[in-house]
Amino acid sequence: MMLFDLARKNLQRNFSSYFLYIASMVFSIVIYFTFVTLKYNDDIEKMTGTSQKISSIMSGSAVVLLFFIVVFIAYSNSFFMKKRKKEVALYSLLGVRKQQIGFMLFFENLFIGIVSLIAGIGIGFLMSKVLLTILIRLMGYSLTAGFTFSMPAVINTIIVFSILFLFTSLQGYRVIYQFKLIDLFHAEKQGEAMPKASIISAIIGTASIATGYYFALADIMTSTAWRIIGIAMPIVIIGLTIFGTYLLFHSVSVFLLQAMKKIHRYAWKNLNLITTSQLLYRIRGNAKSLTVIAVLSATTITAGGAVFGLYYNISKTTTTSTPITFMWKGEALDVPEVDYHNTLTLKDVTLTNADAEYNYMFMSLSDYNKLAVQQGKQEMASIKEGQSVLLDPFFDERFSNKVKGETYTTADTQLQVAEQYEYGVTNIGTTGNIMIVADSTFETLQGEAILTQMYQVKEEADQLQISRDLEKRITEQQQAFTSHPADFEQSMSGAGAMLFVGSFLGLVFLTATGSIIYFKVISEAEADKDKYTILYKIGVNDQQMLKTIATQVAIIFGAPLIVGITHASVALLGFSNLLGMSITKPVLLWMAAYTLIYVLYYIFTTRAFYKIVKNARRNI
Amino acid sequence: MQPLLKVNNVNKTYGKGTQVFKALQNISFTVDEGEFIGVMGPSGAGKSTLLNVLATIDNPTSGDIFIGSDNVAKMKDKALADFRRDHLGFIFQDYNLLDSLTVRENIVLPLAIAKTPVKEIDERVNRIAETFGIKDLLSKYPYQISGGQKQRTASSRALVTTPKIIFADEPTGALDSKSATDLLESLSRLNETEQSTIMMVTHDAYAASFCQRIIFIQDGKLSKEVMRGTQTRKQFFQQILQVLASIGGEVNDVI
Repeated sequence: MMLFDLARKNLQRNFSSYFLYIASMVFSIVIYFTFVTLKYNDDIEKMTGTSQKISSIMSGSAVVLLFFIVVFIAYSNSFFMKKRKKEVALYSLLGVRKQQIGFMLFFENLFIGIVSLIAGIGIGFLMSKVLLTILIRLMGYSLTAGFTFSMPAVINTIIVFSILFLFTSLQGYRVIYQFKLIDLFHAEKQGEAMPKASIISAIIGTASIATGYYFALADIMTSTAWRIIGIAMPIVIIGLTIFGTYLLFHSVSVFLLQAMKKIHRYAWKNLNLITTSQLLYRIRGNAKSLTVIAVLSATTITAGGAVFGLYYNISKTTTTSTPITFMWKGEALDVPEVDYHNTLTLKDVTLTNADAEYNYMFMSLSDYNKLAVQQGKQEMASIKEGQSVLLDPFFDERFSNKVKGETYTTADTQLQVAEQYEYGVTNIGTTGNIMIVADSTFETLQGEAILTQMYQVKEEADQLQISRDLEKRITEQQQAFTSHPADFEQSMSGAGAMLFVGSFLGLVFLTATGSIIYFKVISEAEADKDKYTILYKIGVNDQQMLKTIATQVAIIFGAPLIVGITHASVALLGFSNLLGMSITKPVLLWMAAYTLIYVLYYIFTTRAFYKIVKNARRNI
Repeated sequence: MQPLLKVNNVNKTYGKGTQVFKALQNISFTVDEGEFIGVMGPSGAGKSTLLNVLATIDNPTSGDIFIGSDNVAKMKDKALADFRRDHLGFIFQDYNLLDSLTVRENIVLPLAIAKTPVKEIDERVNRIAETFGIKDLLSKYPYQISGGQKQRTASSRALVTTPKIIFADEPTGALDSKSATDLLESLSRLNETEQSTIMMVTHDAYAASFCQRIIFIQDGKLSKEVMRGTQTRKQFFQQILQVLASIGGEVNDVI
């Protein structure tokens, strides 16, 4: 069939321009297919015995992923079609009917679709083993995943992408039918007007970002703004920031670049004139896209940083809440690999003050000091008669009750809380917060005496097996069992899965935003190549040419990235203040990884741009 | 006196094997400093190829081109770019102005690339703008001015670096007759007062009549050469028409 031949030949000859489009298709399919495979995979649950958690995280993320893929494919397709408008016009000029052109494009799409589906599912199948292994490792298990070929995943992927292909074909048809032959001859430009900087919107933009930041970093408890706006605050912050970001790209950038152009010492040197004026048009023209990219980057970095931060802090948080490997109330059991074992008697005492009645576990000072030495914590010299010290490992200035100085009444005496410390020596799950009193006070306190067992085991985080065995042996004689390895595993598998999904989605967002900038820059390079030919004729050498291109591309890539990182830093600062944990190191790692991939995109784009400019000279 | 431009046996061929097309064949001629020389010939004769080769935008297949004492036919790419920047000026039919820059910035550009100090740039731009009568347009953008003004801007850009030689490729091709005359008068005035060397490709006998000497090329070869000498411009114009008629050029264009 002639049309089919034409479509096939088209593909063969213009492979390079198709390549990028096919590559983005394959990429989307690989990502989606792997994700769906993981969703349908029950190995993880079998291996780890965890609940529905993973698959529900996966299902939720698959929706986000799908949404993103739709946008991404629509974008790649419209970029691809734009490139081919001239070709379509030429067929039309030669008298090919629109219907036939439509058929031709349909065959092409069909072919591209089938090729990408086969390639995508193939690569996805290989990738899923790698990704599954990574997921399992992140969740803290040392198992290796096998190859799994999931038929439901294949069917799911094929259905979803067939619909998408149908959609892109329709997009193609639309281009053909909307196209008027006269457009071919009118193709070129009437000069666009130079963007003008509005000082007012530049100021509003800067102010709205500043306000957003101010609110984000304000102390939730004491800030008046938070009190007034309350629960809607996060939305206000996000709204202000997005609005400000748009104005930043739309006005502040124009304002700055205009100012730079006025400094003749800078502008009238080398190609700085070209660099600044090109950027003026580019940034203003793409303000919306740049805002979207900046916001997406900010979201990705924030989410990734937060999850990575939590993950990174798991062992610390576990140690804070569960410093002892195994602890329970009641009789001792035979535990292997024990480093040391304490049997202590605590007292469960009822305290009252004006407001209410409380129950606390009490511990004698000498018992505390014994534990403190074992755990490398500070000893206490003495506690006065009639006073106590509260150990509250999760104390937080903003949310916790401050009980220092409070006086409580027990059955026969009064106790004043002399200190409130932010750490514990026992497992919270077994004892709750505990009060320490002098040995003599402890003797006379009236309350139920409770025998507690504490076992410190070597390599505690890896002793999950011992923990499980112990759990099975627990009878009525032992209560309130807490285990460091079990808690650790619990947090790891949850946060690990979240980290995996977060990184995975982050990677997808990153790739998609990177590709979108790439598409934009390259289509603009195509539009602008004549300008660079003029420069070549004037006597601009290749080095200067490369420099101005590299600078322009760097700013187009760098501006949204820097804005995104700045937004994310503020958000993460707020987040770490809120949770009271230090996440600087994991966040920096995460940002570095993100930036690195962006840099790769940057290099790739700059080279492609430069190549277009160089090739344009051949047609002089 | 040493000629400013010496073209020696220049050939330019396209294609390979049996499908060779000879765009230029054994072209040799010289241009002295301060000359205003025209290149004429029918479409496809190789006028623009010759100009591109001389202007170092394209490479000759063989032969030598000396501009001053430099053989540009043997220069490497990077050196060529610098050479163009420092010694050559270009005026094109379609102006080739950068539409994202103002008129002033367009003229500043070649000086900026040559790293000229800001103060000197300012002086030179003002002087050249005065010469071409575009002083009031300096802060306008190309899309805001007329074709004739654009071409005067382009000419200012070409001349602001005081190049050794200016290549003009159909500079009046897109202009109405009034603008064309203005431009040609400006160029010929500059040629007289500043001793600028100008080489202009045109198929328009009227434009060519502003030159002092015209070389004709046909099928890639030099065919004829006429000098204005002491003739008036009108007499010279008639002479050009006669030559064009004899070689079958585009006489129709001027009627």
